[in-house]
Amino acid sequence: MTQQKRTKHINLRQMRKAFALKPLAVGIAGVFATACADDRQDARVYTSLDECSRDFPDAIARCEAAYETAVEEAARTSPRFGSEYDCEYEFGPNQCRRVETNNGSFFMPFMAGFMVSQLLSPNRYYSQPLYTSYSPYSSFRSRWVTADGYVFDGDIRKRNYRVRPDVYKPKPTVTRTMSRGGFGSSVRAKSSWGSSSRSGGWGG
Amino acid sequence: MFRTRCQPRPGWQQLAAEFGFHFHTMYGEPYWDESAYYQFTLRQIEDDLEDPTGELHQMCLHVVDKVVQDDALMRRFAIPERHWDKVRRSWMQRDPSLYSRLDLVYGGNGPAKLLENNADTPTSLYESGFWQWLWLENLVDNSMLPRQADQFNSLQEKLINRFGDIAAHYQIQQMHFACCKDTDEDRGTVQYLQDCAQSAGVQSDFVFIEDIGLSDNGFFTDLENRPITDCFKLYPWEFMLREEFADALDGAEANWVEPLWKSIVSNKALLPLLWQYFPEHPNLLPSYFADDKPSSLDGKWIKKPLFSREGANISLLENGNETMLSEGPYGEEGFIIQAWHPLPKFEDNYTLIGSWLVDDQPAGISVREDTSSVTQDLSRYLPHIIV
Repeated sequence: MTQQKRTKHINLRQMRKAFALKPLAVGIAGVFATACADDRQDARVYTSLDECSRDFPDAIARCEAAYETAVEEAARTSPRFGSEYDCEYEFGPNQCRRVETNNGSFFMPFMAGFMVSQLLSPNRYYSQPLYTSYSPYSSFRSRWVTADGYVFDGDIRKRNYRVRPDVYKPKPTVTRTMSRGGFGSSVRAKSSWGSSSRSGGWGG
Repeated sequence: MFRTRCQPRPGWQQLAAEFGFHFHTMYGEPYWDESAYYQFTLRQIEDDLEDPTGELHQMCLHVVDKVVQDDALMRRFAIPERHWDKVRRSWMQRDPSLYSRLDLVYGGNGPAKLLENNADTPTSLYESGFWQWLWLENLVDNSMLPRQADQFNSLQEKLINRFGDIAAHYQIQQMHFACCKDTDEDRGTVQYLQDCAQSAGVQSDFVFIEDIGLSDNGFFTDLENRPITDCFKLYPWEFMLREEFADALDGAEANWVEPLWKSIVSNKALLPLLWQYFPEHPNLLPSYFADDKPSSLDGKWIKKPLFSREGANISLLENGNETMLSEGPYGEEGFIIQAWHPLPKFEDNYTLIGSWLVDDQPAGISVREDTSSVTQDLSRYLPHIIV
């Protein structure tokens, strides 16, 4: 049999926009899993502060700080949904909470655990919130998943991972934007000839 | 290669809404059209489309290598002189490219002919890589097509892998994605690429081209003042290099996808140079610069601007007479001519093949039809199968 000429598999759940995860931003404290590189570090998933404290009885303060970091990250970067139904469709019944803000309310899943790496490092440790799903409709079911939708291998019983720290290329610091609109002027110029062309797009 | 009528899937518009495919109907006209599909043999796909696509791409890269080394050619390609170094550097460093689409004339027999290379800002990607794939899955699942029906379409798989390569090349885990305002189609294309990037573990942030800012220390910024260090832009280099922020490109140190050297491949000056370096190649149409054409030209020729979109500013040359086929705002940078080659006709439709590459790998085709023989942006998109 000849080789198939089309994409073998597409995760339709991920392509479905009505229920897709829509992260606002991803925390700088994130750690990142990858299959390569030598600088990967051991990371461990905890589902409670107690679990962490049992592993590090001499560094309980660090566990507390890592937990707090993850909770703050979760508040900031957790997936957000417009309705409880959409959130529960992805994360399961009673797995979501309502959050009120100045701009209206939305639903986000509860943090199910936090991943910690290099907790005893004098310089910097990593901590990030993790989620899991109890929904039969979700590709995240019984898996650890980050706020931006990265799904770790293995199910939630797996607690130890090798991860790459998110420290590769530090972003430049920007204090102030001086001007905007320096790109895009050709669009206005070229659009003004008003032909029958139906598209305002510049793809070809 | 056949055109076969078939029943549209009941409720496909609802499915489109669920998957965020919002531009299947544009300006009141159908764009996605599943009332028919095109059927190819595996031999047609592999011998007539896939292999020539890979070869044509290598020929284009050969031209890039010649152009960057030749000031006269850089001028011919109307690349502003103050940006030559950047273009050259991006080629010498082999800045990674993501994708391209070759427009080919092919009707099932004989060699496919290259019409042009959309190497910088190709669209119709989502409907090719995902939506026609889903159409085939659905029809096979409902036994409306045989289980062995296949499709030349590994776009999504290859795009995801390519984002992984690009992330490794630049050692990044985040990219910005940008397109212009007020176009669902471009935004949809960019969202699809964001989805592919995310599947490769690359975080994506979106910014409109018009909203890009310049910081006090020379970096490009998004609306939240975050620096733009790595950016996919669905916006042509030929525009960017002529705009206000062009002179900030050097200091901003951003990595762009597509890279700057794609400004040579997407330029229609490529076509006469391909014909010059590979004369009589079976997949090429004769082509010349309009101001440097042979004194005796027989037959019909199409005159196109170096830069143009959506088939704008095209004329027909025949026996010394020029007839305008489409209006538009382009042409100040010069024109090329290309031997006229009729599009194949299926029922009342003129059909054009878009042949995709991800980096240098042929990755699938899209089929577009129009009732006019000069394909404009009003064409309809039809799915295809291999049996």
